Amino acid sequence: MKISNNQMFRNFNKWCLGILTVMLFTGSFNANAQGEGLFKAKCASCHQPHKDGTGPKLFQARTKWADAGAKEEIYKWVNNWESAAATNPYAASVAASTPNKMTSDPTLSKEQIDQIFDWVDAQPDPATMTEGTPTDGGPAGSATTTEESSNGWVWMLLGIIFVTIIMAVGGVRRQLKSVTGENLREGSTYTEEFRSWAWKYRKYVGFGGLVIFIGLCVTGILSLGTIGVVEEYQPSQPIAFPHDVHTGTNKIDCKYCHNTVTESRTASIPSVNVCMNCHKQINGRTAAQQEQIAKIYEAAGWDGKQYTGKTKEIIWNKVHVLPDHVYFNHSQHVVVGGVDCKQCHGDMTKMNGTAMVQPVSELNKIEGNIALTRPTLTMGWCIECHGEKEISTGTIDTKNDGYYNEIHKRLLNNDKALYGKYLDDGKVTVKELGGWECAKCHY
Amino acid sequence: MKIKFKAIASLAIVAASTLILGSCSTGPDSSGHEYMPDMYRSPAIEPYVDYGEVRGREQEGVKMKISSLVPPHYTIPYFGTDSASVRLMLPYFRKANEAFKLTHGLYGADLTPADEYALAINDVNPLKLTADNSEAIFKKGKELFLANCSHCHGEKGDGNGPMVVSGAYAGVPDYKTVAAKEGQMFYSIYYGKGAMGSHSSILNKKEIWTIIHHIRKIQDDKYGTFDASGAMSAGSVTDSMPKPAASAGNPQ
Repeated sequence: MKISNNQMFRNFNKWCLGILTVMLFTGSFNANAQGEGLFKAKCASCHQPHKDGTGPKLFQARTKWADAGAKEEIYKWVNNWESAAATNPYAASVAASTPNKMTSDPTLSKEQIDQIFDWVDAQPDPATMTEGTPTDGGPAGSATTTEESSNGWVWMLLGIIFVTIIMAVGGVRRQLKSVTGENLREGSTYTEEFRSWAWKYRKYVGFGGLVIFIGLCVTGILSLGTIGVVEEYQPSQPIAFPHDVHTGTNKIDCKYCHNTVTESRTASIPSVNVCMNCHKQINGRTAAQQEQIAKIYEAAGWDGKQYTGKTKEIIWNKVHVLPDHVYFNHSQHVVVGGVDCKQCHGDMTKMNGTAMVQPVSELNKIEGNIALTRPTLTMGWCIECHGEKEISTGTIDTKNDGYYNEIHKRLLNNDKALYGKYLDDGKVTVKELGGWECAKCHY
Repeated sequence: MKIKFKAIASLAIVAASTLILGSCSTGPDSSGHEYMPDMYRSPAIEPYVDYGEVRGREQEGVKMKISSLVPPHYTIPYFGTDSASVRLMLPYFRKANEAFKLTHGLYGADLTPADEYALAINDVNPLKLTADNSEAIFKKGKELFLANCSHCHGEKGDGNGPMVVSGAYAGVPDYKTVAAKEGQMFYSIYYGKGAMGSHSSILNKKEIWTIIHHIRKIQDDKYGTFDASGAMSAGSVTDSMPKPAASAGNPQ
């Protein structure tokens, strides 16, 4: 993207304006410190200066009330909005504008309320401040994918042009031959011509054919090994969800959205009400973000002010699919096994986009992961990890009172020799407790 | 004339085969090849799978529908036979206010015109702390708090979680200034309060009460400590807070 001089100048202007506002604001900071403290303690959980949230925005609310002829009523409203709404028509209209009911505070004095509004009115609008500055989290991935697919078309086009040239040259050659009458019988076809050519150079053609045949066999056998390998599978999703913004920048725990991971076989895709716990307030900074978040609002039935009750399903595409004949349980691995999400799913704090089956080479780069060699989500990969993963670290005395402590105790009490054999490599692995038994996962 | 036709025909064949080969690309939308597709697709319902087509049979009714559904209304999950824990996990007896339909989208829930948030002030935490279990409860409470609350409320409950620090979210109160009693905390977490949405879909009642123990511990470090005689200190913060005025009790 190129920024024209004109645009740059405009951005520069905006920056100057922003810096000026900030300077003005810091100049009057001391006088406003009181107001800021009060605002944050009393109002901020519902009100923001420049954005409607649970409560309406407070920027220049005093001016609005004064314009409506209710200059003094606003103080009464803050102390007890119900009595204000009962006596003043403008206050009544404000009360009717939202289904939320405000928590009044009768302890605030008129001076304190003025301090709050002084501070609010001195706040620069973040919408104009951030405009033109790069914001993170846009669906930047879409640009690269279109580039890749257009690359494919370029190759195909080049191929077609190349073939056309060869055919054209061949045609010209034939024409020349037929003109000169050189070695060309009347009515011969491409096939006959090819046959006579192949016979003439049969040694080379035979050898070349053998090489091509062996090559095809080898590629065929190798490609059999890619069947059932789903590495780099990243199906398109209804909403371009950037994992890095959610779990990287904003440090939301994986378990908040995928909350059944500790309880259930599946790790659950969050229902839209979980999205709305934050997105009720966050509607996106850039146009691209707003477009994506609007899809959440449509699904939740949120019209920007209230829920309408008209909900819609979001159909996500499942990414990590195991065949029906494999039993895999998330809670078992996460709670009892203590396996971190990143061992199998990769570092989602850096994943700019929706989920993808990470190649095993990427997984091995992550610190703390057990290094594996087989492709992700194949059986070789599973049992390789079962053979490596220690069931609980440390010696028997230092083991926590967990699930495996009991197993360690039983091994120690029942068959010391076997336990000693297991501990030859310094650890008891999942495999040694039956993690390679067929019926562990297939039944 | 004949040669020209053949040239065109062979050109067409080459073009078509290039197109067909080109479509066998390994884009991110392709999950690759499978040995036996019928062993990969479960005819029994699995979550997050589209059952619009199973083994060649098309079912229009479930096409493009979520296969994981919300349990029917009034379903009570099985939590064992211990009567105390079963009582703890029975559905919450307080109903959300009718305004929650518009403000928090609780369309399917039973609603009441009464102000049950104000009534919840007297509800007490059924998970009783004892000298034996307090350590485990606080540990679990902290774990749940870090996974479900701290990204907004902050690890210390000061309202400065990473979401607030990054500028994505604003207006999270400091727990030290929150006047709500533990029953009202439960009501707020279960049905939502202000900008916060209902968390009943991701936390069960026991988990919420466990988190409330942790929140009270954040408010006052003395909460849940036991003196030599075995009596529990309830902490001072919430008890010393002024009682909310009548008008402040509105669920909002």
